[in-house]
Amino acid sequence: MRSFSKKGSNGTQNKHNSQNSNESNNQNNTAEVKVPIDTNLNTNIQNLKEMLGQPEDLIIREIKVGSLQKKCSILYISVLVDQNMVQTNISKIVQSSNAQEIMAISEMKNILAVNEIADAVLSGNTVLMLDGVSLIWIMNTAGGDKRSIEEPQSEPVIRGPRAGFIENIDTNISLIRRELKDPNLRFEMHEIGERSKQKLAVCYVEGIINQDILDEVNRRLKSIDVDFVQDSGFVEQWIEDSFLSPFPQILDTERPERVIYSILQGKVGILVDGSPFALIAPVTFGLALQSIDDYSQRWVIGSLLRLLRFLSTFISLFLPAIYVALIAYHPGLIPTQLAFSIAASREGVPFPAIFEALLMAVAFEVLEEAGIRLPKGIGQTIGIVGGIVIGDVAVSAGIVSPAMVIVTSLTAIASFTIPNYSTGVGLRVMRFALIFAASVLGLYGIILIFIMMVVHLVNLKSMGVPYTGPFAPYFLGDLKNLLIRAPVMTLTKRPPYLETEDTKKINNGGQDK
Amino acid sequence: MTKPRSGEGFLSDRDILIAVITNVIGVATLSLPRLIAADTNSADGWIAIALGGGIAGTLAYIISKIASSFPNQSFLSFASDLISKPLAVFITILFTLQFMVIASFQVREISALAHQYLFDQTPREVISLTFLLVVVFAVSGSRAGIFRLNMLFLPFTIGGLLALILLPVAFMHPENVLPIFHTDFKGYLKATYTTVGSLTGFGIVLFYIALVKNPKNTPKMAVRGMLVVTFFNILLYIICIGTLGNLTTANLFFPTFDLSRSVQIPGSFFERFDSILFVVWTTIVFTTALMAFDLAVMTLMMLFKKLRRIRVILALSPILFFISMLPKDYLELTRISRFMNSFSVIFIVSVTILLGVAYKVKGGKQNG
Repeated sequence: MRSFSKKGSNGTQNKHNSQNSNESNNQNNTAEVKVPIDTNLNTNIQNLKEMLGQPEDLIIREIKVGSLQKKCSILYISVLVDQNMVQTNISKIVQSSNAQEIMAISEMKNILAVNEIADAVLSGNTVLMLDGVSLIWIMNTAGGDKRSIEEPQSEPVIRGPRAGFIENIDTNISLIRRELKDPNLRFEMHEIGERSKQKLAVCYVEGIINQDILDEVNRRLKSIDVDFVQDSGFVEQWIEDSFLSPFPQILDTERPERVIYSILQGKVGILVDGSPFALIAPVTFGLALQSIDDYSQRWVIGSLLRLLRFLSTFISLFLPAIYVALIAYHPGLIPTQLAFSIAASREGVPFPAIFEALLMAVAFEVLEEAGIRLPKGIGQTIGIVGGIVIGDVAVSAGIVSPAMVIVTSLTAIASFTIPNYSTGVGLRVMRFALIFAASVLGLYGIILIFIMMVVHLVNLKSMGVPYTGPFAPYFLGDLKNLLIRAPVMTLTKRPPYLETEDTKKINNGGQDK
Repeated sequence: MTKPRSGEGFLSDRDILIAVITNVIGVATLSLPRLIAADTNSADGWIAIALGGGIAGTLAYIISKIASSFPNQSFLSFASDLISKPLAVFITILFTLQFMVIASFQVREISALAHQYLFDQTPREVISLTFLLVVVFAVSGSRAGIFRLNMLFLPFTIGGLLALILLPVAFMHPENVLPIFHTDFKGYLKATYTTVGSLTGFGIVLFYIALVKNPKNTPKMAVRGMLVVTFFNILLYIICIGTLGNLTTANLFFPTFDLSRSVQIPGSFFERFDSILFVVWTTIVFTTALMAFDLAVMTLMMLFKKLRRIRVILALSPILFFISMLPKDYLELTRISRFMNSFSVIFIVSVTILLGVAYKVKGGKQNG
């Protein structure tokens, strides 16, 4: 037994060393010295202690095991582990004679360098070392407190599951696995964060996913070089196609069922430890305007809601600009009656329409930002200040016209119907560009900016897949799941632009082609 | 799709169909009824349009048939095979010039349109320059992007045409259409000639077919595109004549647009519907200018292989702007467009004949 393990460990050690040298070439700025594992127990413990800086919460228990009364140690960091599990499962069992057989911990693996022991201990594992053997056991006992599963804050639905992702990646994976029992479901684990060593899972369904897309995602994930990832948004920015674009090329979601729906369509889900937001790639523009809720409603309702969202996106983008263009350049285009009433309401307003529009648009942005940053308790203050001061008093003081207030509030309300926050923020930027263009060249300026937006969109890609999705390249059949939400019975195909291995939605695990 | 598709063969037949439609429908479509009405009596012009469409369709078929029998080969390379290298280079240069003039013509016409229907005080240089800059922005993107753009704007194109055709239907006076068949033969001939001239945009298939993945059905698609355009042209013409009468049509600069001046949309949210239509038509003119510019760049890069695309684009833009500002007024613009018409008809016909004869002579050996 012992010889076998030694041989095995030697073999892997060589392999590991070569890996180490590669890594140290890559990261020569972090002056880490790889300390090999000694056969002497005490040396190992001393090395580890030194490496971690003699922490107070590193618990070392010395036990004598087996009939030979061999010395062995159990090490763990008390704040990171599930204390109960360590007490009942490990400490007691190790002392019994046939420890190896009964040891029943979820995850066990052997490691070879003291650095790795340090990593393992810091991830909440418990380490078992035997004296005289360089074999070391790592047991997953990660514990500690985590948030309970709650309803997602950022994308509420009326009808649909209430569970949302939390910060713990294992829980998030379990949320997906529990719903999707497909044997082809895969989680490819990466480690990101030079110092934080966070886990990152790429999840997809084998047999559906287009291998090119998967390879591209993995390739980009491997290129990430950061110390710490505070949220999946950080990962998103590393791997997106164009960092200059105002449109998010990767979708974020807090909802497990949305991830499941997407990976079953042939997309890739990315879960990051420490972030309740999963990433979905590749995405297309229309996707950001969809809510997973659409599928729970009956199809007529779902379709109308989708059309409504397209309309309100249009309003939130163009309305202020069109107002400015009409007032400043083409009053002749407004119906006479309306033109008179607008002109009457603008009586006494000292600013040109463009300034008025910018004033209101900026005021609204400030209000929105303030509303996010404020603690919930005093959030109402913002409502009162915004509603009364900006809306009412500004009009009666004659600084802005009532028509402008209507336009601004319509725009604001319309912009909140976009289900995805990141997309909404991107469109806000475009709104300002349009207002400027309208003030310079009127309707003509608006259409030019619109053309530029479309040009930008057609050149944009998400993980190499055209961002304009089923609109162009033209996949007419897929529009029934984009513009409208056709009856569920008719949605039998996966999105063609993903070029999935298995195109039919109703399938037997991708076996028949 | 995820693999880099910069190489040859990323287009489908349908892309060509759409490209032909969006390229041929442009400013020329707007002024066509004026030119036709000048040569024919009452509504007889539709015969000329149908004839012209038929001729243009045939030419498009021959051209795309020849081009599609050299799959994934650039125009210069297969033309050199057919009709000696110097001649092919000469023709390519002529094409470059033609596309440059077409692009700058669109750039100029957009300011003419804007002056007439949107604002009359903004200097035309500003209107043209901003338009050209947007075109440059689009050309600097990928070529696949240009075709995606065509697709995205296709609904605008069709919608813009349908709006032009359907809205004034209620204002039609049947007596304007009558009497029929009162045009003399010469009139028909001239009108047909003008029509073919306005449809020469199908020349783009010569160059874009090299990018089609499987160009077997492409000739059919090109012809289908021409049929769609001809169909719309006939409808547009009849509506124009029916509403305005032959004489008025012949004397309005953009008769099709002036039609919509009289239109009242129910609920009357917008008055002056022509201005709204102009906005839609900007996209249509844009796609035509975009493809002409792209092809000018493409043909130049065929001739000078070492040039970088972005440099060619940047070098061409000021030249295009300069050309577009040359005509002093509408009259000159009209004269130039007449000349361009004649030139492109003669040019495309002679190229077709030249290539067709050479193809027949050198024969079926490439024809797999």
